[in-house]
Amino acid sequence: MKTGKGLHIIVCIKQVPDPEGPRDSFVINSEANRVEPRGIPPVLSLFDENALEAALRIKDVHGDAQITVLSIGKRISNAVMLKALSAGADELLKVEDERLDPGSLDSSAIAAVLACAIKQLDYDLVLVGRQAADWNAGQVGIMIAYRLGIPAITLARKAILDGEAVIVERVLPDGYEVVRSALPAVVMTSNEAGELRYPSMIQRREAKNKPVVTWGLGDIGIDAPPANKVVLKRLSTPAIVTGACTLIDGATAAEAGRNLALRLRQDKVI
Amino acid sequence: MDEPAILAFIEFSPDRAILPVSLEALSAAKQIASALQGTLATLVMGADTAETTQDLKFYGVDAVYSIEHPLLASYQPECFVSSFSGACKHIGPKVVIMGNTLTTIDLAPRLACSLDTGLVTDCVEIDFSSGEILFAKPVFSGNVLATFAIASAPAIVTVRSRAFEPLQRMDIASGDSIRLDPAIDADFIPAPVVERVIEVQEVVRLETANRVVSGGRGMGGPEGFAQLKELADLLGAALGASRPPCDLGWIFPKAQIGQTGEIVAPGLYIAVGISGSTQHIAGMSTSKTIVAINKDPQANIFRMADYGIVAKYEEAVPAFRDALKELLA
Repeated sequence: MKTGKGLHIIVCIKQVPDPEGPRDSFVINSEANRVEPRGIPPVLSLFDENALEAALRIKDVHGDAQITVLSIGKRISNAVMLKALSAGADELLKVEDERLDPGSLDSSAIAAVLACAIKQLDYDLVLVGRQAADWNAGQVGIMIAYRLGIPAITLARKAILDGEAVIVERVLPDGYEVVRSALPAVVMTSNEAGELRYPSMIQRREAKNKPVVTWGLGDIGIDAPPANKVVLKRLSTPAIVTGACTLIDGATAAEAGRNLALRLRQDKVI
Repeated sequence: MDEPAILAFIEFSPDRAILPVSLEALSAAKQIASALQGTLATLVMGADTAETTQDLKFYGVDAVYSIEHPLLASYQPECFVSSFSGACKHIGPKVVIMGNTLTTIDLAPRLACSLDTGLVTDCVEIDFSSGEILFAKPVFSGNVLATFAIASAPAIVTVRSRAFEPLQRMDIASGDSIRLDPAIDADFIPAPVVERVIEVQEVVRLETANRVVSGGRGMGGPEGFAQLKELADLLGAALGASRPPCDLGWIFPKAQIGQTGEIVAPGLYIAVGISGSTQHIAGMSTSKTIVAINKDPQANIFRMADYGIVAKYEEAVPAFRDALKELLA
């Protein structure tokens, strides 16, 4: 893939059921211990969009950089991934297998599969979102780095390249720190890394002609994903706190505001 | 050790106060220790841990482990992970618990890799009913609760802020202080810090605030947030926002509360001009008391709220603020 001219950036992207979908669209199948989304489309995980945006900002500066989007799963929708190609990624690499159901693999298993795929490529930088917008584990990026034996930098709000190094602004509770790492490295972005840019009509049209490569587990040199360390036991619907709202009235909005303060004091909230 | 040890990792602020979320993790650790008839231990790491170690003896802990080293003065992944995994090898805990913080977002997965074990992040409930310890966390934007077992040892868990009641300080000190001295390999730090920049943008920090005043798209612009800031200052609250005001630059990005921002669970959450998207709700739904002010009676936020006013914020908020000023005077 890397032709020796530009840097090769891999962005790991997961396809997830739209997190903004209404509550009843996340149907629990207790027998199969699965969440079965109904009536909501799959989308790119928002956090992975931040990672892709960070890659594109590097490419804005280093025009010869190549961006490969890597996604693993049972079936990955080209239509969903087209958004990543439209925004400016150069190619899509899918690893598909019946056993790559994200609902039944833990973070360490997912990271192991991604790392095996990445090992097949010539790469300089791997960008990953801070967590997936469905299971929210936030572990995969670091676990990929450990598998590959390369540095991991988390909570990146900005990443720039400086020769053979990546310089990252890392979010801290009261500011940020600047860290510098040799390449190759894994960088996990924070949501401050920026929203994915909006593609033009031309970009969208061109994206349909960009290369899409599909691999199976055999292509990445494994028979099956490794066993889970974290085992899903049960899925349930959390208690919904609806209908309990006490509406505070008043002759005017100002009076309602005043009554609210009095009520909060009366109920010892303040 | 015959009795299983449950180890809580304790973080402290620059002024050496134990973080509330660490006391919540300690409380979760105590629940497990009681259920398993195990011992309760804590681990503190830093350049100077004496004060925190002494403080922890007032929480009914069996053993207070500490690791002191100049390289642990501030969080550095390799130094912290090698110290922590060294401590785990020495203590042999069955479960390791810590608060879900910006530090442990980085630390916990590395520790799991280093010890080749499983990790559940953002846990809100611990369940012993089946005889096995299970850890539950919200998934799918908080629409589903997933309950996990960890098949390897030690089980590593981070707990969501405010999901557990913090352990209360007692009058009598107990427990042994044990200094550990694992080897720290400082020769290989792959991503050294070049500089640290402190941007103090908020007087009260969202993650530890007991009260939050938050605004949404309905604020209409930065001027609306200036009004909310007054209300927040009056209440000693942190100022927050849903995603749109952050994207539109009405307020600094770190104010964002929601799935893509900070997850908060304060005692009081006041949502003004916030419609209540799933993404926002995921970041504040476990707040104890929720107050909503919105002009749209159909706004989703009212389903979550304990108290609500259907009105324009421009009319309701100043009167609310003035009345509070009198009550709090």
